[in-house]
This record gives sequence, C-alpha cells and structure tokens, in this order.
Amino acid sequence: MKTTNIESRKRIASLFLIFVALIGALFVRFFWIQVVRGDELAKQALDNRMREIPVKAKRGILYDRNGRELAISVSTDSIYVNPAEIKKAGEEEKTARELAAVLEMDEEKVLSLITSNSSFVWLKRQVDFNVSQQLKELKIDGIGFHEESRRYYPKGTLACHILGISGTDHTGLDGIDLYYEKLIGGQDGKIVIEHDAAGRQIPEAVHRYVSPTEGSDVVLTLDETIQYIVERELDKIVEARQPKAACAIVMDPKTGEILGMASRPNFDPNNYNDFPAKNRRNFAVNNAYEPGSTMKIVTASAAMEEQLVSSQDRFNCPGYIKVGGHRISCSDTVHGHQTFSEVVEHSCNVGFINLGLKMGIDTYYRYLTAFGFGAKTGIDLPGEATGIVMKESQVKQINLATMSMGQTNAVTPIQLVTAASAIANGGALMKPHLLKKVLDGDGNVQKVVEPVKAQQVISKETADELCLILEGVVLNGSGRNAAVEGYRVAGKTGTAQKVGEDGRYLKSEYVASFLGFAPADDPQLVCLVVVDAPKGYPYYGGWVAAPVFKEIISDSLRYLGVPRTVMEEKEEKTPSVAVPDVINLPIDEGIKSLQNAGLNAQVQGEGDVIWGQVPKAHASVKRGSRVVVYLSAVSEQSGQGKVTVPDLEGKSIKEVARILSQLGLHLAPDGYGLAFEQDLAAGQQVSVGSTISVKFQPLE
Amino acid sequence: MKMRKGPPDLVLFLVVFLLVAIGIIMIFSASAVTANIKYQDPFLFLRKQAIWIVLGFILMLVAMKLNYHRLRELGVAAIIISVLSLIAVLLPGIGSTVKGAARQIDLGFTSFTPSELAKLCTVIFMASSLSRNFDKIKSFTKGLLPYLLFLGVICGLIILQPDLGTTFAIAVTGFLMLAMSGARYSHLGILALVGMVLVGLAIYLEPYRMIRFIAFLDPWKYANDAGFQTIQSLYALGSGGLFGMGLGQSRQKFFYLPEQHTDFIFAILGEELGYLGVILVLGLFLIFAWRGFRIALKAPDSFGSLLAAGLTTMVMAQALINLGVVSGSLPVTGIPLPFISFGGSSLIFTLIAVGLLLNISRYVYDR
Repeated sequence: MKTTNIESRKRIASLFLIFVALIGALFVRFFWIQVVRGDELAKQALDNRMREIPVKAKRGILYDRNGRELAISVSTDSIYVNPAEIKKAGEEEKTARELAAVLEMDEEKVLSLITSNSSFVWLKRQVDFNVSQQLKELKIDGIGFHEESRRYYPKGTLACHILGISGTDHTGLDGIDLYYEKLIGGQDGKIVIEHDAAGRQIPEAVHRYVSPTEGSDVVLTLDETIQYIVERELDKIVEARQPKAACAIVMDPKTGEILGMASRPNFDPNNYNDFPAKNRRNFAVNNAYEPGSTMKIVTASAAMEEQLVSSQDRFNCPGYIKVGGHRISCSDTVHGHQTFSEVVEHSCNVGFINLGLKMGIDTYYRYLTAFGFGAKTGIDLPGEATGIVMKESQVKQINLATMSMGQTNAVTPIQLVTAASAIANGGALMKPHLLKKVLDGDGNVQKVVEPVKAQQVISKETADELCLILEGVVLNGSGRNAAVEGYRVAGKTGTAQKVGEDGRYLKSEYVASFLGFAPADDPQLVCLVVVDAPKGYPYYGGWVAAPVFKEIISDSLRYLGVPRTVMEEKEEKTPSVAVPDVINLPIDEGIKSLQNAGLNAQVQGEGDVIWGQVPKAHASVKRGSRVVVYLSAVSEQSGQGKVTVPDLEGKSIKEVARILSQLGLHLAPDGYGLAFEQDLAAGQQVSVGSTISVKFQPLE
Repeated sequence: MKMRKGPPDLVLFLVVFLLVAIGIIMIFSASAVTANIKYQDPFLFLRKQAIWIVLGFILMLVAMKLNYHRLRELGVAAIIISVLSLIAVLLPGIGSTVKGAARQIDLGFTSFTPSELAKLCTVIFMASSLSRNFDKIKSFTKGLLPYLLFLGVICGLIILQPDLGTTFAIAVTGFLMLAMSGARYSHLGILALVGMVLVGLAIYLEPYRMIRFIAFLDPWKYANDAGFQTIQSLYALGSGGLFGMGLGQSRQKFFYLPEQHTDFIFAILGEELGYLGVILVLGLFLIFAWRGFRIALKAPDSFGSLLAAGLTTMVMAQALINLGVVSGSLPVTGIPLPFISFGGSSLIFTLIAVGLLLNISRYVYDR
C-alpha cells in the first residue's frame, strides 16, 4: 500500500492556509457590514420596512366678515383595493363586474386595477355617499374605504375668484385657498407602521404617529350680502351688454378691507373642470388695462397737491391741443371756457393735458408711484399683476400728455380702486386685503389683521377738496347715472379705447368704467366697475358702468345702514314693492314670503293653505301695506276647463305651488322638502280647481 | 507497516453537530413566518429538516463504519450512477422544474438532487484515481486531460440544468484536488484562466446572470430588482449589528429576504445573533477545515489523504461561496450553506462526507 505523497501533503497544507485566509477575510467583511456600517444599514432597513399612511389635516373654514360660511370641508369616502386579497378570493372577474356597476367605471379598467401587482390601489376617490354605502353593503374582501375631505363652496359661484378652488387631494389650487394654503390647509400628519414586504403589519411592529396640525378657520373681509349685490349687478350688465369681461370691487377706504369683489366670466368652484380655464382668471386682480379717464384722479390729485390749480381756476378748451407735433382732440364737443371743477366734470382732455405738462414728468411719476401704480398692491390673492407703467427715463412730452388723460399706462382694477380709496380716506393709502381674522380650533380669535397704511399720498385738505370736485361729476357731469337717491356720491367715469394686438387703439372696442365713492363727505365705500368691450351703444363709462355702480352702492349703503345725508325737501317716499304670489303656499311660507317683501299679512279663515290674496300677485304697493290672505276654501268658479296634471317630482314646495297655481289647481302639501309623490298621476286630465295632494321629503 | 483502527475525530463530530444544531434552530426561526402564511404551518420546514437530520446522522454513521478502501472499487460505479441521474434530471417529466431550473427528481415522498450525489461521487472518484496516478499528474495529456474531460462532462451536465453555483463549486473542488495531487503550477495557472473565461462566458451568454453580475457590481443602483437580494441581505446583517436583534426577532424574514431559510439563512442568522453569532459559525467552519485537513495529513495512505482533503475542500468551497454571496462579496448564485441551510439532499450528502472523514480519521499509522 502506498504511503502518502510528500508533495501532495505540502499542497494540502497550503490549501488549508488559503482557506484560513479566506475565512479571515470573511471575518473582516462581516465586521465591516455588521459593526462598522451596522447602524446605517439598520436604519435603511427600517425605512425600507416602514409604510406611511397619511393623516390629512382638517381644512379651515372660510367665513365672511359676519361669520357666514363661504367654504367648508365635507368628508367623503375614497375607495381603495388590496389586489392581493382580491386575488385570494379568486373571483376577480365577478368582483370587477360588481365594482364597475356600482362605481360606473369601465369593467376592464377595474379588473386591471384590482389585479395589479401592488398592495394598495386607489379605485375611485371621493365618491358620493350613497355609492360608498352601496359598496359597503356588497362586503367585498379587499375593498377599503378611506375617509377623505372634499372642499365644498356652499355658495357656488359666489366670490369664486376670491375663495379659489381645491384639488382632489384637498389642497388649495387658487384664490384664498391657495394663498393661505399653509394657514388653512394645516400640516398633514402620518402614521408610520413597519410592514412586511407584502404590506401586512409585522407583530410588535415599530409605530410612529405624527399628528396633523389642523388648518385654521379664517374670517374674510368680504361681506356676503355686498358680495351678492356685486355678483347680481355684474350678472345683469353681462346679460344686457355681453362684454368680454367685467369686474367690480367694493372696498372700505378707511381700512383697505375688500367687502366685495367679483369678475366675469366666472365659474363654479365645486365643478371648476366644467368651465374653461380662462374663467378662473380674476380680472379684478390679475389683469391690467388702460383705464382712461378714471386715471385723471391721479393728475388732479398731483396738480392740486402741488398747488398748480384750484377748483375755480379758469381753463380754455379749443377742442384740441398740440403736443410736440401731435394733435390730440378733446372730445366731440368744444368745452370752451371752464373752471377746473368743470374740467373734471366734463373730463376735458385738454385741461388735464395742460395740467400734466405743467407739473412735468418727475412730479407726475412721483404721484403715480405714491398711488401705488406700477407695483403690486400686495392684496392677499395669488397671481396679482403689476400693470405696465412706462419707464420714466423713456417718457417724452407726448407720453406725459396721454398719461395725464389716462392712456399709455396699464393698471389693474385693484390698483385703481386702492388709489381712489386714498382720496376717499383723506389722502391715506390703505393696503387692500381680504383676510380679517384667524380663528383657533374653538372659534376664538387668534389673530386680527390690522389695517396697514401704506402712505400719505396727498394731504387731507387736497383730498377733501378733490372729493367735492368729484361729487360735481355725479351731480353735473359725466357721472349723473351714478347718482344715488339720498346719498352724496362722488366719482369719475372712464371710457378707454382698447389697444389691439398691433399696439394701435381699436376703433370699436372700449373699456367702460366708473370709479367712485359715497357718501362724498364721509366715504364708507369705494367702488370700481369695469366693463370690458360691452356690445352696443352707448359704450361710455357713464352709461354702461355708472348705473352698475349706482345699484351696488345704493343697495350696499342701505344694507350697511349708512344714514342718508341728503335731506330732500319732498316728503320721504315709501318705496313700493311688488306683492309676491302666495296662492297655494302653506300658510307659514306665505306669511314669511310676504314679510320678506316688507308687507304685513292679515289672515282670514281657517286652513293650512292659502287660497287667495288681495291685492293680487305682482301688484305694486307701498312697503308696509297690508295683504289679506284667505284660508277658507272658496268655491271654485270657472271650473269648466280641464288641465293636465304636471309631474311634480323633485320640485320644491314653492315651485309646486307656483306651477299648480298657474294651472288653477290647488295644493295639499304633506311634509317639507322636495316632492316625491302626488295623488293624481302626471298626464291625467282634471278639472281646474281640483286639489292635488303632494308628499314632500326633506333633502339629505 | 500496519494500520490500526482508532477512535474517530470527536472534535470534527462535535463541530458538525453544533453546526447542524444551529442550522435547525435558524431554519425554524427564519421560516416560521413565511411557512405560516404560505402553508398555514410554521413548523413545516423544521419538521422536514428534523427528519433529514436523523436520516443524515444514520447515514453518517454507516459511512463511518465501512472500510473506506472499498470505495476505491465503487468509484466508477458511483460516477456512472451520478452521470445517469444528472442526465435523468434534464429529461422532461423526470426532473421537476423549480424557478426555471430542473435540479431535482421528484421521488414522490421526497425529492432528490442529483448534483449533490454527483458532487460527492466526483470527489470519491478523483481521490481514488488520482492516488493511483501521482506519477502522471505532471503531464498535461496523460495526467490532467482525462480528469478535465471527466470534470467537463459532470459540470456540463449540471450547467444545463442550469445551476452555475453548483457547477462552480464542483469545478473549484476538482481543480483544487488536481492541485493537491501535485499538478504543475503552470498548468494550474492556465486552467484557472480558462476557468475564469468559461465562468465569464456563462455569465455573459445568459442575460439573467449578466443582470445579476451587473447588480453585484453596484447593488444599491438595482436595489429594487437584481440587487434586491443582496441589499436585503445586507440590511439583515446590518440590522444585527454586534449583538443581534435576538433569536426569533428578525424583521427581514417577513418576506423581504427571499430564500431566507435556504441560501440566505446566514443573513437571518447575522440579523438575529449579530456579529457574535457570525464569529461562532465562521469559527466552527474554521475548525472544520482544520480537522478535515488534519485528517488528510494524518491519513495512512494517499487515497485516504486525497479523499479527506477533497471532501473538506468540497464542504469549505461551498461554504465560502455561500458566505461570499450573503455578504455581497460574490454575485448572487443559488448555493446552500452546508449543515445550516434547509435542504435534504445537501444535508444528507454533506453528512455522508463527514462520515467518510470520520472514517478516515480512525485509521492511523501503526509505527
């Protein structure tokens, strides 16, 4: 038998040493991984196993200055699936069919979602209450519900440009909701839980909870009623003159608070995707336009403050003026000899150009800047435009001349209304703002936004004198249509030719505007109305915008209870009102309706429903008059005719009552809310005077 | 000169016993979660492995008892059986395909991995043959070439499964046995180069291996796909730190680390028992190598010496490859950690090898 080979023995020993060396290397390698880099790797490993579940912060409520809700958050269910669990049940197709039917989604899309390779997939976000309820009843394994909040603007289009919009993920995308996102949106929290690789929780898992910081409720400076008045008047002018755009701003000159602001076109923030994106542009803040004559208040202020002119100084207007070889015509008429007050009242271009040339470029620009033109006002809304003011170094005499009459420079409506507020506020320019108060979680005031005085632009004396001159515009001049009965109103009209794409003035498009305030001796409200390219004639500011101003200011002053300053000699007239139609209304509703119209109801007879009224509907009577309503069933006359019973389902009591009364039918209501059942079927022929009993059920 | 039978190497036995014991504890700890979720039975792998261990130790005792010199005659027969079973596993219908590779033959009550048999038989055959041909080994054509052809056939059959890890382990073991038999360093150098080129080709020609190889070079870049296993393994080891998270406290076993009770069991061990546990196991393997080569050096004849050295090399090569993969030092390849990873065939053939080592350790010179 052979003994072992010597060389082989040596090699075996060497190999052993190689193995020793390799194991030694592994000792070092594992030391490096586990001890040197251990902490770092352990942390990464933990992060790798942690899953975050966001905890949405509650979004703050937006209130108007009187505590009325303008934007709230409502909770809705969002549906998610865990495909692993769906697959476990093994009925993917059946499940997909059921889900698709309830959620009104494409079946194949649902199938691909619920079989995707993931442990969490959103199926549909923010579904209606009844849909999630239906789904819950199906009790499908692997379907989950996540309560999410959705922003809801209960007043619809009201103040849409100001309040803004919010996205699916409940963050502000525009308006106040965007500008104060941090304040209103709060800070989302999260739950972090250690999970296994398939998304299941690990026993004894590491948990971390970061609580959300709830968003603050805020009070805006807006007054819902004034806002409503502004919206209503804009709607009217838009319907009447179909302009390209329009806006109106109502501001408190003493504080800079915006009480109402609206632009057209507008949109419903709850369904903003149904509107063109351009509708979301807030004309009042985001657009600049050449203002025309309203801008003459700046020229007048500067000239008066610099004592270049006083109200009784005489001017002569030959109908045109020549500046550096250019001939600028005044208007259709030759104004001739006039005082400075009359120059303002007539909006005489020649007069203003003379003043502008007299003060010079430096002085004009000093006041232009002091009034805030060429810079953002700092209003708390996103996307404020700066406007376009020509560089001072490039200005020539001809430019100064056109600027003095309101051309050349472009301004935003908010800049202009802020500048006018300074004149109305004794020369003190207040920073415009929308946020009034921030509330804490219990509704206590956490922070009050104090008015900020930006600058004393002109002296109080100059301002007060200019107010009187501007009052003359409304009393005697181009702004007569802005006069409000019972109040002293001051203002300035503006009719600016629009600049076309080629930089030349368009022949046929104008911006009609009116800028004014009231009462003239102690201004409470400043209002600017701008109507861009109204259709039809006349297109002048005094004809298009002044009446809108008048309606807004007159209703707002009355609403605010501002005492009338003009005591008229004639006996005070009681306003007349139209008598509402209360026939067929339940007695309570009818009386309320009459009271709302400022009338007193006198009930005769017994019963639940009003059969008749005197005076009849739509009659014009003095406010405070008495209206007699009859409850007893008066015998039906003129009952020969037959009428068809209408379908009343889904209509409100008022609507039902109106429809039935037009047909000569009587209503016996039961319940309140919307109609859902009627005893006589729709389409049936009945005689006039028949009674239909309708059941109503409340809205959710 | 006569041979005398002494007691077997008790240190070696103790080392193996400890490794197997650590193995079954770690198999249970690593597999309980997944076994419970996938098969609703946390003890599934524990039970299976326990049966293999009992069977393995019985076979180890048998291997220890018989006279190892009789293996010399069995060498050729063993190789024929190995080759036949390697061919069989490639045939559709016989080999059962798991994760795209046909590595096992389903015997009904259990499955059998022919490459594990082939590995053991290769060592026995080469030890038997080489110990007769020490004089020829310096020649390339007469000495080395026949063995290279033989290894080529075995490795070729295994790489067809495909199983690069086991192929590599057998090739390395065979190569080292040639080296231990006294082959020329120049020949060995060329062979090593050729081997590297072949491995390179095997990687280059197979896209999934190429991806794994690229991921090996920078696993963090591919942390979500090809580098996933390596990264999760490093996460586990790093989480363990010096003292470990405690037995049973692994987090990475919750579906993060694939093959957590087989090829990557050492990562879970490192996570639960820390670097101290790693030192223990590495130390045990070190002692294993020491005792194994000591047996080889003390063996009474060339066959015994080469056989002991070959078997030790076989176990150590596998262990080092596995530990290299787990520590991210080698590209990912599926090879179990001897004694510790779950798997019947691997454990049984490794324990038979240990039985043979113990067998050889009993024979000493009678001076």
